Amino acid sequence: MNLDVRRDERAKPDSSLRLFIYRHFIRKCKAPSIAEMVKGAGWSRKQVDTALRRLCESHAFVLQENGELWRAAPFSAVPTAFPVKVGNRSCYGNCIWDALGIPAMLAQDARIDASCGCCNLEMTLNVNRGRLQGARGIIHIAVPARDWYKDIVFT
Amino acid sequence: MLLFRSEQHVDRWCEQWKRPRGGTLSLQQGWRLAKEWYGDRLSPDWRPKSTAEAEAAFARIGLEGDFWKLSV
Repeated sequence: MNLDVRRDERAKPDSSLRLFIYRHFIRKCKAPSIAEMVKGAGWSRKQVDTALRRLCESHAFVLQENGELWRAAPFSAVPTAFPVKVGNRSCYGNCIWDALGIPAMLAQDARIDASCGCCNLEMTLNVNRGRLQGARGIIHIAVPARDWYKDIVFT
Repeated sequence: MLLFRSEQHVDRWCEQWKRPRGGTLSLQQGWRLAKEWYGDRLSPDWRPKSTAEAEAAFARIGLEGDFWKLSV
């Protein structure tokens, strides 16, 4: 995997759509639809599609088959085994790394209601004042880093 | 990227899924990795990490070796 590919493309300012998507996740605990992006960003459908395609080149954003957002890392647009509670809001991370990424991104306290990948036993994690507290367990990544994006769902 | 109770539970999962054992990190390393990776994600100037930047981030939290290499 080469993250340097098309670096100039990625550096272009799609930042307003990216931030609109993240703010929507944060405010409403769900992904914005394409229609909401068009309305919210004040762009045409074509402009949104083009910007989304570029954002997807970073692998941080992934679309569903119907063209709607599937994930905007660390957030998942669909329920996962990694629910994260921040204040009175609940959202989902794509994996344990992303679940930890939500409080890291927001710089807020959070509770992650994770469970053991083997036996499903509850493994609640708490982030308080920038620290992961009392956490026991081990993270396993089955796929070598260079192959992470060959099958992002399995990874 | 899953969370497990212990090394034994990782082994059991690998056996169930007939997968070779991959890379492991402690939860504290995972937290540091999350902060490295996502700490600046709401910045208007955010851009994806280059291969070298990502590998350097892994190395800063002790994730080194072939498994953590992004370059082929």
